[in-house]
Amino acid sequence: MLDGQSLVGKEISGCEILTKVAEGGMGAVFKARHKALNRIVCVKILSPSLANDKKAVTLFLTEARAIAELDHPNIVNVYNVGKEQGYYFIVMSFIEGQTLSAMLKKERVLPIGRVLDLFDGVLKGLSVAHEKGIIHRDIKPSNILITPEGRPKIVDFGIAKKVDKEKGSTKTTELAGTAYFIAPEQALGKDIDTRADLYSIGASMYYVLTGHFPYNGKNTIDIIQKHINDPVPDPSKLRPELPGWLSLAIQKLMSKNPDDRFQTAKEVYTYFNKMRAEEQLKVRTMHGRAAIDLGIESSLKIVNEEKHSTDTLRKMRAEDVYRNVTSRQTKPATGKSTTQMPQLDSLGAENNAPKSKPPLAPTQELVTNKKVTQTTIPSTVSAMATIKTKQYAKMFLQLLVLLPLFLCFAACCAYIFFGLGKICSAYVADTNGFITNILSPVLSGKMAEGQLLYIALAVVAVAGIFAISAVKAYSKTTALLLALAAASYLSGLFTPDVTFLDMSAVSQYLFSPEYYFCYLVLAAAWTLSLCWRLDRTWPERILGTALVFMAAVLSYKATVLSITPDFAGIATKILFGGAILFALLTIYYLVFKAAHSMILPSLCLLVCIACFWCYNVSGLAQHMQTTFSTLAEVIPMEEPDAEQRQQQENQNELLGIPSVQLFSAFAKTKAVNYLSDEDKYKFLDNAITQYAGIFIAPQQRPLFIHLLSIYYLSGPSKASFTIWDYAVSYPIDNFNRNAQTNNAYSFLVVLLFILAGFNCVGGILFKEDL
Amino acid sequence: MSIFDIEFAAVTDIGKIREKNEDNVLISSDLGLGVVADGMGGHSAGEIASSIAVSVLAETIRKINSGALQIPETFLPKLAPTERKLLMAANLANAAIYSTAQSSDVYKMMGTTLTGVLFDKDCAIAVHVGDSRIYLYRDNKIIQITTDHSLAMEHVRRGLLSKADADKSKIQNVLTRAMGIKKNIEFDLLKFPIKAGDILVLCSDGLYKGLTEQAIAEILSKDKDMPIVKLCKHLVRTSNERDGQDNISAVVIKILAPKKLSFGQRVKKLFSRAS
Repeated sequence: MLDGQSLVGKEISGCEILTKVAEGGMGAVFKARHKALNRIVCVKILSPSLANDKKAVTLFLTEARAIAELDHPNIVNVYNVGKEQGYYFIVMSFIEGQTLSAMLKKERVLPIGRVLDLFDGVLKGLSVAHEKGIIHRDIKPSNILITPEGRPKIVDFGIAKKVDKEKGSTKTTELAGTAYFIAPEQALGKDIDTRADLYSIGASMYYVLTGHFPYNGKNTIDIIQKHINDPVPDPSKLRPELPGWLSLAIQKLMSKNPDDRFQTAKEVYTYFNKMRAEEQLKVRTMHGRAAIDLGIESSLKIVNEEKHSTDTLRKMRAEDVYRNVTSRQTKPATGKSTTQMPQLDSLGAENNAPKSKPPLAPTQELVTNKKVTQTTIPSTVSAMATIKTKQYAKMFLQLLVLLPLFLCFAACCAYIFFGLGKICSAYVADTNGFITNILSPVLSGKMAEGQLLYIALAVVAVAGIFAISAVKAYSKTTALLLALAAASYLSGLFTPDVTFLDMSAVSQYLFSPEYYFCYLVLAAAWTLSLCWRLDRTWPERILGTALVFMAAVLSYKATVLSITPDFAGIATKILFGGAILFALLTIYYLVFKAAHSMILPSLCLLVCIACFWCYNVSGLAQHMQTTFSTLAEVIPMEEPDAEQRQQQENQNELLGIPSVQLFSAFAKTKAVNYLSDEDKYKFLDNAITQYAGIFIAPQQRPLFIHLLSIYYLSGPSKASFTIWDYAVSYPIDNFNRNAQTNNAYSFLVVLLFILAGFNCVGGILFKEDL
Repeated sequence: MSIFDIEFAAVTDIGKIREKNEDNVLISSDLGLGVVADGMGGHSAGEIASSIAVSVLAETIRKINSGALQIPETFLPKLAPTERKLLMAANLANAAIYSTAQSSDVYKMMGTTLTGVLFDKDCAIAVHVGDSRIYLYRDNKIIQITTDHSLAMEHVRRGLLSKADADKSKIQNVLTRAMGIKKNIEFDLLKFPIKAGDILVLCSDGLYKGLTEQAIAEILSKDKDMPIVKLCKHLVRTSNERDGQDNISAVVIKILAPKKLSFGQRVKKLFSRAS
């Protein structure tokens, strides 16, 4: 890019640059003052982007020197040429005046004689240049300057143009030069000679005389192609007073074939002068308007030539129309041109195919043989990414670093919680319920030795679990880690005597209910995780279905007791039916409402497991209920004597509790309620031995004594509830009890640990878990 | 994303005589995209225009893929999604170049060609403007898929010039269409099925000035088992040795048989949610 502003005011070759006159792709033209001669000159500077190109520079200088040698009144004078301050320049005379095109715009119509006078000068100048072998390449009205004295001067010899051509740089048609005056051979990119300038002279004369361009079109390409293809227009149609010889001479200059034109500029101006002289003679002798001299016309051989070329041109035009029709078919209505690719098979067959189209159009076959390849693209694009070896390596590295880290962290968490559980196991009592036992460390209000430390560690571990979920590879493992921590805690809490992760007895118990319970935890967790993602894929749905089946079966197997469920009761039937129904519902929601159901399948699954659980323990509950009812019946309970009651009431009133509110009417009737806990136990123990010693096993005795005391205190409904409560938590108690020997907790912890590890691997490999 | 395994390679060379490289190439295997842009010489900032062209094109496709950019529903609704995506990206690239060109005197009149190919399931979609080319090599035959938007080819299309003459013509580098010259330009959009074993060559005019269609075919048939990057370099080097008057750029794309998925990939594909 030539920075015009930076050059203004500078001095190049003794010329002070004044203002920028024009700028093109090849360089800029400045008005300048020649200091020594004190006259205004014109300095043309080659674009710096071309200045580094040796070949371009050589051409620029050679041709500039050649023009300098010309020294013709109709050609702009070149004073100096060379290089200074890194700029290649040409100093030329500055012509005050206007271009021919500007003059035409101003005066609208120029007299024919005036035009002929001007072109006489132009042709004379051009003739001299041609003799030196210089082709202008861009003759057009705007390149012909008219001095104030009315003398035409040709400017802008195609120096830069030729340079550009040689360089072979890319440019657009918008910048490629003036299309209105371009010779066909030039438009086709063939080698051109001086006769191309003559074509441009003809086209320029047509324009100057008629005020219209010889060819017009919707774009540059169109115009250029008309120069190549369309018949030569007749200027006398637009300007009827044009002498016939002039009209024909212009048409001859604009012949498509350079051989059909006048061959030199000199030939043209001598012919013009001769005809003008004859015209004047005719005007003088015949006093009439000019008529076409047939003799001269035939000597020019214009008519014959024209006829011949028009014929071929008409043929070509007809084919053009055909081509336009075919090419239009390939354009879609959207306005974008969608060119379909010719198929290779058809390309191969093309050579053998009979050619019905004229050989004139080499692309014809291509157009007609184009098969529409309508391949429909499904809207869903597979998310499969091309995983390259590099990515494998990266993943492997990630796995190598992240997985051990994760496993270490998980193991640490598990151990911390196990330790915490072990310490808290001091508070665990058989008489407490499951939940009470879990919360015992919190509820007790006491601190065992080292408990504070472990609680602190556990808090840190939980914080760590949530913190690492921010790491991409671990993000999906949070729930599993929490489950692992919980399982470790329970393991410590209920089996403090088992060493951490003691797997010694595992193989013997793999198919015991306790282990089924472990499997159930995994299957249920997995199913829930599937339930909690939307848009499940089909494999996920199938997997989910299988898992629901497994969870159902496992929940049955894990809670199954030696006492068969009581199938006579309607409640048990409902429970069993409900369990199966909810399992099916889970599958239904999981599979067929995959798009939006998350909560419903999860709930259904939980209800299903609960139903199976209740169903399995119903036998135990029923059995206990029967035993208990019998027991309650056989043990006679006398009314408390007045003294006992009074004593108790006084005691209560001392405590400030009104006796009426404290005891139900039923309770008041039972003397046992007025005994102390120790006495109560002894009394009931004796009563059982006395009345029901046969059907209560010794190890069950404390339980039934506990139930009886509740029965006497709160009535039969509370006792039933307690029985069910006991029955339902029986599998868990059983689990805890058996875990002491079969290491089920360790097994659960290990299972969760392995699953978390898998999950982590999945997260690293697929950026999502399975 | 294509069902085929696709290998990409790109090489650009300044040539023997040019002072700067105005070509730009881009390949992206995760987008399934290969692009060649040839900035216009003689103009002020060809290399800037071509770099804007390739980067905006790729960036737009990436944004559309990730959902960061939505294609307006009114934008050529009849076309397939991938075609719309590519055309949208090309249009945005043109707008970006045009506005940059208008913004400063330094960039005025800059322009570039753009020839890109984006792979979809079992076909390739090409967007094309200017005189860069796409050659498809299949079964030892080579064909040029794109039509140059040059005055010479315009003449060939109208039957004014034979193809052989056009290849020698001086007006070969006069473009009839280019990016950045006008606010709205017309792109050629081509869609063609691909097969395993196909080789696509995207190249700037520098390459085919040094190597005829036949010469490219010979190199491809002789060295098609060469590693693709080597093959690409070989093409550019050979062209440079024979001509080298212009910047030379080539993108070579090899279509291999549908990739054999590893177990992990298959599992992942199985579980990847349909979008």
